[in-house]
Amino acid sequence: MSLRILPAKMGVVFGSLVLGLFVFSRCGTDSLADLPDTVDFNYHVRPILVQKCYLCHGPDESSRKANLRLDTYEGATALLKDGGKAIDPGHAASSLLVERIYHKDPDMVMPTPESNLRLTEREMALLEKWIDQGAKYDPHWAFLPPVATPELAGFNGNTIDYFINKELEREKLPAAPKASRESLLRRAAFLLTGLPPTQEEQAAFLAATNDDAYPKMVDAYLASPRFGERWARHWMDIARYAETRGHEFDYTIQGAWRYRDYLVRAFNQDIPYDQLLKEQLAGDLLPEPRKGPGNQNESIVGTVFLTMTEGTHSPVDIRKDEADRIDNMIDVTGKAFLGLTISCARCHDHKFDPISAKDYYSFYGVMEGTRFAHHAVNQEAKKAALDRLVQVQDSIRQWALVQLKQQPAYSEIIPAKTNTDPVAGEEGTLVLGDFSRADLDGWKSDGQAFGQSTTLGDPVFSAAKKWIGIREGMASSRKIAVGLYGALRSPDFIVSTNFIQVEAAGRQSSIRIVIDNFQLIQQPIYGNLEQQVSSTDFTPYLFDVSAWKGHKAYIEVLPGTYENHVFIQRPDSYVDLRYAIAFNTTKTVPEKNRRIVQELNKRIKSQLGSTPNARLSQLLDEELALRAQVKDSIQFIYGVTDGFGKNSPVFVRGNHLDLSKEPATRQFLPAVSKTNVRLDVPGSGRLELANAILEKNNPLAARVMVNRIWHYLFGKGIVETVDNFGLQGKLPTHPALLDHLALEFQKNGYSIKYMVRKIMLSETFQRAVKPEAAAREKDPSNTWLSHFPLLRLEGEAIRDALLAVSGRLDTTMYGPPVLQHITSFMNGRGKPAQSGPLDGAGRRSIYLEVRRNFLDPMLSSFDRPLPFTSFGKRDVTNVPSQSLILLNDPFVVQEAARLQARMQKAMPGSAAEKIQWLYTTCFARAATTDEVEKGTAFVNQLTTTYKRTSVSGNAVALAWKDYIHSLFNLKEFIYLN
Amino acid sequence: MSKQPVHPVHRPLSRREMLGICKCGFGSLAMVSLFGSLLPSCAGVADGKDQLLRELGGGAIPPGFVPKAKNIIFLYMDGGVSQVDSFDPKPRLARENGEDPARKFKMDATQFGDVGKILKSPWEFHRYGESGMEISTLFPHIASCADDLALIRSMVSNFPEHTNANYFLHTGSGLQGRPSMGAWVNYGLGSENSNLPGYVVLDGGLIPPGGLDNFKNGFLPAAYQASLLRAGAEPLANIRPADSLAGIQEEKLAFLRERDGHLLKTLDGADAIEAAISNYELAYKMQSSIPELTEFKTESEATKKLYGLDSSDPNTRNYAAQCLLARRLVERGVRFIELTCPDIGGGADRWDQHSNLKAGHERNAHAVDQPIAGLLKDLKMRGLLDETLVVWSGEFGRTPFAQGTDGRDHNPSAFSMWMAGAGIKGGTIYGATDDYGYRVVDKPVTIHDLHATMLHLMGMDHKQLTFRFGGRDFRLTDVHGNVVKEILA
Repeated sequence: MSLRILPAKMGVVFGSLVLGLFVFSRCGTDSLADLPDTVDFNYHVRPILVQKCYLCHGPDESSRKANLRLDTYEGATALLKDGGKAIDPGHAASSLLVERIYHKDPDMVMPTPESNLRLTEREMALLEKWIDQGAKYDPHWAFLPPVATPELAGFNGNTIDYFINKELEREKLPAAPKASRESLLRRAAFLLTGLPPTQEEQAAFLAATNDDAYPKMVDAYLASPRFGERWARHWMDIARYAETRGHEFDYTIQGAWRYRDYLVRAFNQDIPYDQLLKEQLAGDLLPEPRKGPGNQNESIVGTVFLTMTEGTHSPVDIRKDEADRIDNMIDVTGKAFLGLTISCARCHDHKFDPISAKDYYSFYGVMEGTRFAHHAVNQEAKKAALDRLVQVQDSIRQWALVQLKQQPAYSEIIPAKTNTDPVAGEEGTLVLGDFSRADLDGWKSDGQAFGQSTTLGDPVFSAAKKWIGIREGMASSRKIAVGLYGALRSPDFIVSTNFIQVEAAGRQSSIRIVIDNFQLIQQPIYGNLEQQVSSTDFTPYLFDVSAWKGHKAYIEVLPGTYENHVFIQRPDSYVDLRYAIAFNTTKTVPEKNRRIVQELNKRIKSQLGSTPNARLSQLLDEELALRAQVKDSIQFIYGVTDGFGKNSPVFVRGNHLDLSKEPATRQFLPAVSKTNVRLDVPGSGRLELANAILEKNNPLAARVMVNRIWHYLFGKGIVETVDNFGLQGKLPTHPALLDHLALEFQKNGYSIKYMVRKIMLSETFQRAVKPEAAAREKDPSNTWLSHFPLLRLEGEAIRDALLAVSGRLDTTMYGPPVLQHITSFMNGRGKPAQSGPLDGAGRRSIYLEVRRNFLDPMLSSFDRPLPFTSFGKRDVTNVPSQSLILLNDPFVVQEAARLQARMQKAMPGSAAEKIQWLYTTCFARAATTDEVEKGTAFVNQLTTTYKRTSVSGNAVALAWKDYIHSLFNLKEFIYLN
Repeated sequence: MSKQPVHPVHRPLSRREMLGICKCGFGSLAMVSLFGSLLPSCAGVADGKDQLLRELGGGAIPPGFVPKAKNIIFLYMDGGVSQVDSFDPKPRLARENGEDPARKFKMDATQFGDVGKILKSPWEFHRYGESGMEISTLFPHIASCADDLALIRSMVSNFPEHTNANYFLHTGSGLQGRPSMGAWVNYGLGSENSNLPGYVVLDGGLIPPGGLDNFKNGFLPAAYQASLLRAGAEPLANIRPADSLAGIQEEKLAFLRERDGHLLKTLDGADAIEAAISNYELAYKMQSSIPELTEFKTESEATKKLYGLDSSDPNTRNYAAQCLLARRLVERGVRFIELTCPDIGGGADRWDQHSNLKAGHERNAHAVDQPIAGLLKDLKMRGLLDETLVVWSGEFGRTPFAQGTDGRDHNPSAFSMWMAGAGIKGGTIYGATDDYGYRVVDKPVTIHDLHATMLHLMGMDHKQLTFRFGGRDFRLTDVHGNVVKEILA
């Protein structure tokens, strides 16, 4: 508690005792003497206004006091009701703001005493001087385009050092010397791959004498498949990655791990960041999706990013549930790609940033027009065969149509008119979908199964290839072939009747009424909204939707079923669909075309049916063969697909029951983009959103990402608040450097590896951890990077290092997660039936299961964040459970025993040789004489202890195991020094 | 460390002063911080450093305010106790038993939708104590403490589903991933004991729906999350030394101390390393202090009997052990202790009696009634009830009409809870429901109000206890909450 009430005069805030970081304010001490010559609005003034004034005089109109706003020049300099101006530019003496902040009367002084906010003397002086200098307002620094540094033209060397060294000189801080080769190797290995350097890597690098040994070493690690495994995990923190939905039963998120694999591949292949951004927001909408392994559609896997929300199975207030899911999607999208806390504007205009509630609901419309959907990722792989099949089927159809054209009834059914709105049929029946005609009646066919039209007019042949008729109009998942995945979804409609009826036939398929985008359909509340189609005879499936009147809904028809919210499509699953109608009491069924088809078929049988010619026969054979080829096992991810574009009303004060009359037109944040990018397209607008974020003049996308990369390498971003570049975020310590890197990033095709390499090759990166005495004294928080920071390894790196040194590490990549090991302390509903192995089968931590309600205790203790929102920056805490794990957890002890066995084989020599071998294995360096001596003595001492007792087992082996266990507990094992 | 707070709460201290107070150098200062007493400063590792600046002016504790409560024991009645069968008598239910509720009042959607007839309580109510508080025969022992209770009959929640309601009750938000109230309390006040975590969940057997997220730190630093403690040979994860022989671990620790000290020297000192070293000393001490805590060797037979440790019902014995442990934790200065319910088995899942109300509620009540009364009496005898706030509540109530024929569905529109101990005016009844006990008609108390009141008793202003995360100052009470002053002494 007391640290929170440190005397303000100190001008220094304890960042974290545990971290040992002390953060100086940018301006150093609090004395008034060193006020800047020119007071800068962004760097000196705005932080004061944001922290101390905006709550009552900021952008949010609803909480504004005295009708005064200080976030704009116009507002601050406007004539006040009682005369005078809050700010009179150039004249502090006549500015009421200055009068009020210095006021002695508690009723008059600003900020008010009740606010618990107080201006320091320095802050008051800054405001005063700034007003005297003209009170110039500038746009928020992060919203201005990056500016190139012209002086760089003549600079020889890594440009990063130019910026860092310049500040060091200005601050008169001595730089630390270059780190030892051992340190550099271990630093690079862990930061790039999350693993310690192997003995071979050590031998190669430490012995190398060539000048380019260091860049070559960096390149080798960048090229290692382990690189993607470490860097994917960084992004997973941002994507709130989890494989279950949490809440009561912790249901599985189907195929979540495929998104993890997608990230690993993407970082390894150095897929440009702009591409990754587009794929994660709109991978389903890209005209040319990227191909992955086995030619699968890789881009679409990116959309899992949007669907990693938590989920509960029976929310009574389903609209609120939808609003909460969408809020999470907006929150994560805003933080991840823009570094903005957009979801702060859910209930009111943002209190600090120029983001209005209208802007929030503009994003809301984009997400609301997005539907959750399974995708079969392997469909691209057989695309060639499928394209050919469609072509063949078209030729066969054309052949039949030529024959049929002579028939008078033909023109009545083909082509049929297109209709998208539900139309009132006879006796008040609403026709939601009529598939007796050729078109899909405005429904969206997603995936490949349903094709782009109904079966109307498709010719039917007997086994002997005799033409025996045409098919009536149906939406059919086997129109092209059985065994393809696809979904057919209606447009959105508002439920207005008691019943919905869908007539369908099929096997192991399902019809779902999706209310308010709600997916976890099951008892007790929503169970009747999903029915299985299990009869091959056409059957009317009746849904009682009376409880959902007034709710938004769509109908979803799928050739598969849900089991525990996992979608399963069996090889022979299919579904045919005649119509969907809504009604209250009596109903009429649309079936006009069916009679005409029956009429035509009589004529085909009696007059037209003939044995096919050779060409048709060949086509029919080819069709049969292709149908078998396109059918295969289907692997699913849970991503998104586009629904129907819609602008959302504003929820007044965030209340989903209190809607504004005027909808918020979908558009990109006007404060960030001056070009007024509209998103109100017929689809959701996600692709347009991705493009707007990436628009060259949008200053945020590149800045936010290069800052993340910097953060992952230095443990602290140039902007420390990596997920918040808004007005409450930290200011950049090196703004010109940040701009320079952002421009470089864009110029080099958004290559992440390029940026990582550039940073790692700088002198700044290669400095030793130990600061020079003067630098420690003057800049204890290392704001100016005179030395490399002392970084603690993440939980994953600690666990993986244990496996690597013990020899247990299994570097198998990809695939379904290794089941979570369940300790006796992990209980509750949704507990997995089976516990995974203690050592995760030796796999890297990234391949371990992430169950929201059963998170791994070791990784959680070492600060892996809870998966509910974006965490671009992990905490680094120091809690006893960490020590208890390293001291007592059976996993750690087991790996010590394994390393002992490994050592026994690899190094049968003397104790000194063994210790040397262990030090290179565990710490990537040779042991000192002192370490050898102390180690030997320690092992001997332990051996004596064991020998004195009647413990079973080899006393010497036990002693070495304990010694190794102790090495694991040395701080050097978990810190990069 | 003594039981006194390790640092005075209100006076600003410099780092140097603090070092002076601790008199043992920086290492032990960092060590103190391990359990959160100084961890508000640790907020710096999230983006909460501005927090410090903002709070230079005072923080959450109003100057001069003397907190009533030092500790909270939260008796969580998982699943939702039926108010009309426990603390809120409704004679009208008996008169209209078997009638159609739809003809009596407007009903909200229920989770299971299986609405039956109006169902009278199978239990009788009697008046107890000088206050004459009406309590049902489900809780004869608690009833004997009636004059210590402030009973709120007008609780409302926002959610009729377990998980949302559990998250809401524990964290003030129906969503997953927010800090639990125990985490907030420790963030605000720090721990009184440097050898024990400040937030302990005593696992009686049932983890509430929604899982361990009910007890997590959310966006607060990890040190504020609950430690799960239970009876048995391993009360806390990894608390038992891995070493087969006594003395080996000490030898290892001596080796570590020497080697790590050497590293520290080569780095000319590094706070993070120094703090991590201290962490081991603490972990070592916990290995002995925690097993000592969970053994009841020093407790008298009379005390054990008071709690019901001699009961023939194993569930009563289980809960009695948790209650006694709670008192021992209070004695050691643990700020926030939550007890979860025992798994009574036999088809009765927590208090969640969608069917078979009579048997299920009876067996649940039998498990907790005597231990809770024992706890209240024991605390009182030892003078600890004056500084300990005991809170008894479920996540919502139950419907006055049947689900099926003999169960009750969830009802967030009305339920009863009580508080006792520090700062509480005993024998108070606050708020009222309608004739059926279905809805609150007088003085509704929200979960936010409950949190505000709990924080108030701990000496904190719920509006000032904030943490900046993702650009927003979060509170346990969101933007809501009023202290329920009428139940305060």
